[in-house]
Amino acid sequence: MNAVSGTRTALAIAAGALLLATLPAWTTPAIVFLVGLVLIDSIFALSWNLLFGFTGLTTFGHAAFFAFGSYATGVALKMQAPIHFLLLLVVVALLGALFSALVGAVVLRRTAGIALAILTMALGEILHIIIGYSNVLGREDGISGIPRPVIDLLVAKVDLQAGNSYYWFLCLVCSLVAGALCWLTFGRFGRVLRSIQQDAERTAFLGMNVARYRLASFTIAGGVAALAGALYAPWVQTITPELSDTFRSAQPMLNALLGGAQSFWGPVVGTAVFAVVNFSMRTLPGLAELVVGVILLIIILVAPTGLMGLLGKLAWRMPGKLSPRRALGKLPRCRKKAIP
Amino acid sequence: MFFAILNGLSVGAAVFLVAAGLTFVFGILRVMNFAHGHFFMIGAYIAFSIIGQQSDSLTTYLLASLVAGVVVAILGVITDFTVLRRLRHVDHAYVMIATFALLMVASGVSKLIWGQNSYSISPPTGFGEGFAMGDVFVSSFSAFVFVAGVLIFLLLDLGIHRSWFGKVLQGVASDSWMAGQLGINVPLLYTGAVVLAFFLAGFAGGILLPNQGLSPGLALSYLLHAFVAVIIGGLGNIRGAFFASLLMGVVESVSLVVLPNFPGLSIYVVMVAFLLWRPQGLFGQEGHA
Repeated sequence: MNAVSGTRTALAIAAGALLLATLPAWTTPAIVFLVGLVLIDSIFALSWNLLFGFTGLTTFGHAAFFAFGSYATGVALKMQAPIHFLLLLVVVALLGALFSALVGAVVLRRTAGIALAILTMALGEILHIIIGYSNVLGREDGISGIPRPVIDLLVAKVDLQAGNSYYWFLCLVCSLVAGALCWLTFGRFGRVLRSIQQDAERTAFLGMNVARYRLASFTIAGGVAALAGALYAPWVQTITPELSDTFRSAQPMLNALLGGAQSFWGPVVGTAVFAVVNFSMRTLPGLAELVVGVILLIIILVAPTGLMGLLGKLAWRMPGKLSPRRALGKLPRCRKKAIP
Repeated sequence: MFFAILNGLSVGAAVFLVAAGLTFVFGILRVMNFAHGHFFMIGAYIAFSIIGQQSDSLTTYLLASLVAGVVVAILGVITDFTVLRRLRHVDHAYVMIATFALLMVASGVSKLIWGQNSYSISPPTGFGEGFAMGDVFVSSFSAFVFVAGVLIFLLLDLGIHRSWFGKVLQGVASDSWMAGQLGINVPLLYTGAVVLAFFLAGFAGGILLPNQGLSPGLALSYLLHAFVAVIIGGLGNIRGAFFASLLMGVVESVSLVVLPNFPGLSIYVVMVAFLLWRPQGLFGQEGHA
């Protein structure tokens, strides 16, 4: 294990946490709002990448689960449902996981890559259409004016409506979720997933139930996406059916690939970079799409490992280190300690 | 109901015009081109720039469609050389996402050039009002779309199954390495297939221009329909795509009559049912996709 890189990672995480926590003190509320969106989109992208980068399943309809979570939370908050907000988040995540498990049980029976991609894409569009025609869910106009709740913590009440408290709440929950995903990815479960991604047949030969692991991964990814959606609804306070459309589903892909799908933290980096690109071109609708598309093309053509991959290569160029090819082969490069 | 079926056939033929290129390029290159719908839309915009809101004769309309096809085919050459060629040996997922990136590029470019307004275009003046079939009135333009769809299908089907070029293409599709050993210029044929598919997209854009309003949303709605047709028909299978398109057109049109509250939903339901029942598609062979 490389102690230096471990310390460096810890330092980077600490610096990032400090930066995030103190953000409202030194920027404008607009930036705080955008950073909140980045946090939510980060865990959304992480959940997609659990499927793409670590299980080898390419889905094009991940936004369906996000929209599911958003709408479930939005409706519950709007109707002032008498349920503790934290409990609501848990329930929505579990329902999202259940929804995802049902979908997965059907679509994963035919995991021929392209059929899976298009089935999931259809799922997103179906949900988009249903929401668009449903009166309870506000049809095409969506639901607006979703209140931010008050959390009763027994000893004290935290009003998420006030000041920046919801932002800090987001920081906390998103870091917890990301941490949990990281733990899952690098634990035994994640290693089985990665071996399925690299060679499903051989993994099955080693006695692993490939179908069950894929379904589990799909379920977890759906649950986390629903949780991201649940956090999103009170943050933005207005949700529309576009949350479930194909472009929304493409967002985590873009983020994950830009940052590097082989790296666990890649999607987070990608989300942040994309937010900056989009923010700087927010007034030019066509141009923003063009630039994002070109960036994505260049990444796929030139650096399929994304920004984290590039960083990794640059780091390895420094003297006194093993060449990454000799050390790691084609294994994911995020955690060096996994290799003796 | 009879009207709904006739109308559905015309809608289905329109979908087939888009699905043809999509399934063709998949059959040869095994690439699912997400940008196909947008190149179709660019073709429609090009034809629109040439003829405007209403063309004065059938000839200018057809010529404009041809020009649109050729321009989009040139875009196809560029795409093939800059993107697809470099990704021949890369994992499918990355190619799919690359074509998704192309989709965004095409969408951005078309918004920059033609703006975000939607236009409605009427059929060229050459067409009569329509004719009666039994007690049902059929507009001559939808009859024309149907005929165009059938013609393109017959041409493609004959071309693939009967002509020398088609047979070589089939050979390349089934074993590109072996085809290369036999002295066939495989990269050139791949480019040819891409160009043909892009030409079809652009041409379809021109032909279907008066069929619906022209707006940036056009591409995605056709793309999704074409995807469904391609999937139901069996990936890479032109015949399958043709019959699936017609089936879908009819299902959608009839479901509008039967279930008017959820337009657009029925085709997805049909597709999901189909994929679970026959994952290889209508005419697909086992292990083909």
